[in-house]
Amino acid sequence: MPQVLTANRLLDGEVVYLASDGAWVEELASAAVIATKAEGEAALVTGIEAERNQKIVHAYLFEVIDTGVPLRPVKQREVIRAAGPTVRSDLGKQARS
Amino acid sequence: MYRYDEFDQKIVDERVEQFRGQVARRLTGELNEDQFKPLRLMNGLYLQLHAYMLRVAIPYGTLSSRQLRMLAHIARKYDKDYAHFTTRQNLQYNWPKLADIPDILADLATVEMHAIQTSGNCIRNVTSDHFAGASADEVDDPRVWSEIIRQWSTFHPEFSFLPRKFKIAVTAAPKDRAAIKVHDIGIVIRRDASGTLAFDVYVGGGQGRTPFVAHLIGEGIQAGDLLAYLEATMRVYNQYGRRDNLYKARIKILVHQIGPEEMRKQVAAEFVEVKAQGALALPQAEIDRIQAYFAAPAFETLRDDALLAQQKAQNKAFAAWHDINVSPHKMPGYAIVTISLKPIGGVPGDASADQMDLVADLAETLSFDEIRVSHEQNLVLAHVKQSDLLVLWQKLDAAGLATANYGLITDIIACPGLDYCDLANARSINVAQAVSKRFADLDRQRNIGELKLKISGCINACGHHHVGHIGVLGVDKKGVEFYQITLGGSGDETASIGDIIGPAFAENEVADAVESLVDLYLNLRQPGERFLDTYRRTGIQPFREKLYAAH
Repeated sequence: MPQVLTANRLLDGEVVYLASDGAWVEELASAAVIATKAEGEAALVTGIEAERNQKIVHAYLFEVIDTGVPLRPVKQREVIRAAGPTVRSDLGKQARS
Repeated sequence: MYRYDEFDQKIVDERVEQFRGQVARRLTGELNEDQFKPLRLMNGLYLQLHAYMLRVAIPYGTLSSRQLRMLAHIARKYDKDYAHFTTRQNLQYNWPKLADIPDILADLATVEMHAIQTSGNCIRNVTSDHFAGASADEVDDPRVWSEIIRQWSTFHPEFSFLPRKFKIAVTAAPKDRAAIKVHDIGIVIRRDASGTLAFDVYVGGGQGRTPFVAHLIGEGIQAGDLLAYLEATMRVYNQYGRRDNLYKARIKILVHQIGPEEMRKQVAAEFVEVKAQGALALPQAEIDRIQAYFAAPAFETLRDDALLAQQKAQNKAFAAWHDINVSPHKMPGYAIVTISLKPIGGVPGDASADQMDLVADLAETLSFDEIRVSHEQNLVLAHVKQSDLLVLWQKLDAAGLATANYGLITDIIACPGLDYCDLANARSINVAQAVSKRFADLDRQRNIGELKLKISGCINACGHHHVGHIGVLGVDKKGVEFYQITLGGSGDETASIGDIIGPAFAENEVADAVESLVDLYLNLRQPGERFLDTYRRTGIQPFREKLYAAH
């Protein structure tokens, strides 16, 4: 199953994703979809490097259903991280779009 | 209430500057996350799903207006205009930025507040009866003793690295409003036959993965010996408590494994040792000094208000609120007001900055400048003149704070759950909202009577589901949220752990299931029985049959 690398930004805790150009982006839609195990390992190395450079905290991979746009995480936890609290649509990423 | 002396203030101020340095070193990379994490946790700072979360200590849930205004100010300036009151009488901010935390802590320090010991394996914020000092059934103000314990346990070097976190609760009333029997140590203060204060010390209660009701370990401990007895209990725990397994590290596991009799013996032996050293005797002068901070406010000599009946007759909504949210006060002419933070369909325990400011103003003008946070996630104005109740209700009502549901089925405890919490397996707030909306009708709620519904989003049980008359526990089944229902729990003086009724329900089935249980209770109940009483009389079987009949 395809995966995405995520973490929280050190400075403010914001949920971020690794994009294909190596940047950390706030929107899941802009994240790089990781298809293979080798790509996943390479992404984790990038994550560890970003942790060392005080950019992010605790990088990890999670599974997504990649049936085109939008990307949808398999687990509810990641759905909520990608949007914000389900009980407060005025807060989190969902409030910005 | 207690006021910092120069030493308290100095320690807290120094701690802020220490943490400011630690944050700066984290941001420059001198500290990595592994090094920083224990330091931030010592200052109440967690990293949750969406952002950092700062947990602020509210000792035994008592706040001044000035403090509550500062909490509102911080919500506005550094967070998103609201905060969450927790089941440990604390307050949490859900969106602070790391770089702002030192300034937030500095602001808190200006009103004698901090976030120390709100996390980590230490003695946490001491909790108490939210009606302390106001209720007629108490024998003393339990906050005096909570404060004495707070001072003893704060920065106590021997208890900074316990096997696990440690929670102490204190009540001085026979009616337990502080859930003391589900704490690591729960203290019941009573008067013995001679009228002297005596302390019954219950040990080994708790919720979480392995719930237990505490055992009476120390009976009739004298006031001067209280700290020595607590120290002895902590030492036994520190020595024998397991450190090899996170899930078996709480004192409840130790008490369960060696048994209450052996625990009594061990603590008694250690108590002799501690007393022989003599260092922890609590002198009467010190008790008196702390007691003075909690002296009763300058109550006027009043009679019970004659106008109240007339006001109630003229205003049905006020009458309902009065009947439900106003409790009797020990002084004639006064009342205890519970401000519900459980609006129908709302988020249990959340308050906006504007609401906090309003409550602070009302407390200042109408309740001797004092606010309580209850472990049931409500606010309390403990000393309101009965003649002020109508105007108080009008102001609360205009701010969405006059929900009449104290102790009723919509007065739900819910943890933040998977909407915010990194540990959660499932959401809690959404379930609370669904049940709340289902039972929105006040006449129906009143007909049902006292019913404590409590929801946790994981087995850590911050939402106290084990002691809910109806408890709901969120679980993750292959990435999908399911909810297990327990019945017959109670956190009061008749404490019990709820029984699991059967297989879990999907999210959209929980409100139906609760309704089904409540309907059965209404059919089965005998005159005067609450849900819990009926359940205890009939047992689980009829409820199980009803709930799973269709399956």
